[in-house]
Amino acid sequence: MNWLLFRRRVLNGSVLFLSVLATIFGLIWLVWILWTTFEQGLKALNLDLFRSMTPPPGESGGLLNAFYGSFLMIGIAVLVGTPIGVLAGTFLAEFARKKHIGSLIRFVNDILLSAPSIVIGLFVYQVMVRPMGHFSGWAGSIALALILLPVVVRTTDESLKLIPAHLREAALSLGIPYWKVVTRVIYRGAFSGILTGILLAISRIAGETAPLLFTALNNQYWSTSPNTPMANLPVVIFQFAMSPYENWQRLPWAGAFVVTIFVLLLSIGTRILLTRRKF
Amino acid sequence: MADVRSEFSHIVPKIHVSDVNFFYGKTQALKNINMQVFSNQVTAIIGASGCGKSTLLRTFNRIYSIYPGQRATGKIFLDGENILDARYNIGKLRARVGMVFQKPTPFHMSIYDNIAFAIRHYERLSKSELSHRVKVALRESALWDEVKDSLKRSALGLSGGQQQRLCIARAIAIKPEVLLLDEPTSALDPIATAKIEALFEELRKEFTVVIVTHNMQQAARVSGRTAFMNLGELIELDDTKKIFTKPSVPLTEQYITGHFG
Repeated sequence: MNWLLFRRRVLNGSVLFLSVLATIFGLIWLVWILWTTFEQGLKALNLDLFRSMTPPPGESGGLLNAFYGSFLMIGIAVLVGTPIGVLAGTFLAEFARKKHIGSLIRFVNDILLSAPSIVIGLFVYQVMVRPMGHFSGWAGSIALALILLPVVVRTTDESLKLIPAHLREAALSLGIPYWKVVTRVIYRGAFSGILTGILLAISRIAGETAPLLFTALNNQYWSTSPNTPMANLPVVIFQFAMSPYENWQRLPWAGAFVVTIFVLLLSIGTRILLTRRKF
Repeated sequence: MADVRSEFSHIVPKIHVSDVNFFYGKTQALKNINMQVFSNQVTAIIGASGCGKSTLLRTFNRIYSIYPGQRATGKIFLDGENILDARYNIGKLRARVGMVFQKPTPFHMSIYDNIAFAIRHYERLSKSELSHRVKVALRESALWDEVKDSLKRSALGLSGGQQQRLCIARAIAIKPEVLLLDEPTSALDPIATAKIEALFEELRKEFTVVIVTHNMQQAARVSGRTAFMNLGELIELDDTKKIFTKPSVPLTEQYITGHFG
């Protein structure tokens, strides 16, 4: 066999082998994490989880208040952060393209994107919790919104930039004004990208603990008002898992299991939605 | 050669280009272009890649203006009004001058909505009137028979040639006066190309058609008049027959006979 050909085959084979090895290495951890979460979570799973509040030491209970608090705060964060993020991303991609202001905003957004979440928590503590005089669900929501925002800005910007220029030109050549071209034609093309970005951001804030420690804190009791400190899954998981009581230690696994399932269903659901979508 | 509705349309041009220069930043792409385009006729613009033929076409509806750094000087008159004047309303201009691009550009909507979307922007129509207008546009672009049972399906599911005819239907649905086509068949196979070329005979009865093409045979087949451009300059504009049989400028003859380009 030709020496050059032999060398190429060996090189190709070894690089392929290393790539597969690296993939397996990465996947092992993922499978392990999921396996442990499912195993421990399923053991701790019962109906009380969704019926009772977090228990005092030595008693059994559930996570209802934490589920509700997390759900509410994530909901508010999405409602606040998504419109601002999509609009800002649209401004960047459609109106500030190749302008200095655009690259400046992009740079600042990237800093916000990579800011440690504990810094965001501290910031919201300073500007919201201290003036208000108490921890609250609102403060938690705003902290989460601040983490969600740059992710949505970035992905919206990127998805819009992927829309080919000739599609824009075609819509504009019909005499349709730019704002209408963006909202009626461009958004449709970038829809799946923008939606994926929002989901990515939701998955990210669903597990954030640090910013909530300073803002929503926690609440052992049932409280529906975001004006009060609110129970939430990540902080409950953190506190209960670190506790010395055995019945407390089981709950975090159940909580982690539910969060994982929630995020998993969310992305699977959207993926199905996107493939079924006709346009 | 083209029979025209009005005997005056050969005298009064639909589009009159006067001393137009075009710049991409500092690079000059068009040099002092002067030309006339007449109604109800297909005018083809040919020339080698980079000669400025697409650039010239893109000044006719000012589509270049969405990119900062691109600018045109001089005057282009559409029925006597200078469309390069910043006071000339861009929406009005593009309603009068439609465009079809090299790559098919279906919107992410149903076939029906692709056309209805454009019409709805200009007119408030009842549902049946709108359906009628969509049907007429699809008929004129010879797509109706192929899509009449799947109007609610995504336009992205059509073949390239069908998508391009959809784009033609969309452009003519809003009843422009001028139709610009920028290499409309260069991304299509010969059969799809033939189907689109077959449209020109009908299109020119209703619209003033300007087509940019790098395919000389196409220009010869579909156009009444042909402009030859080279390095940003308009070398010659004459009846297509004359351009392809006895052009007045030697450079045109060299290009036509394949000595360069």
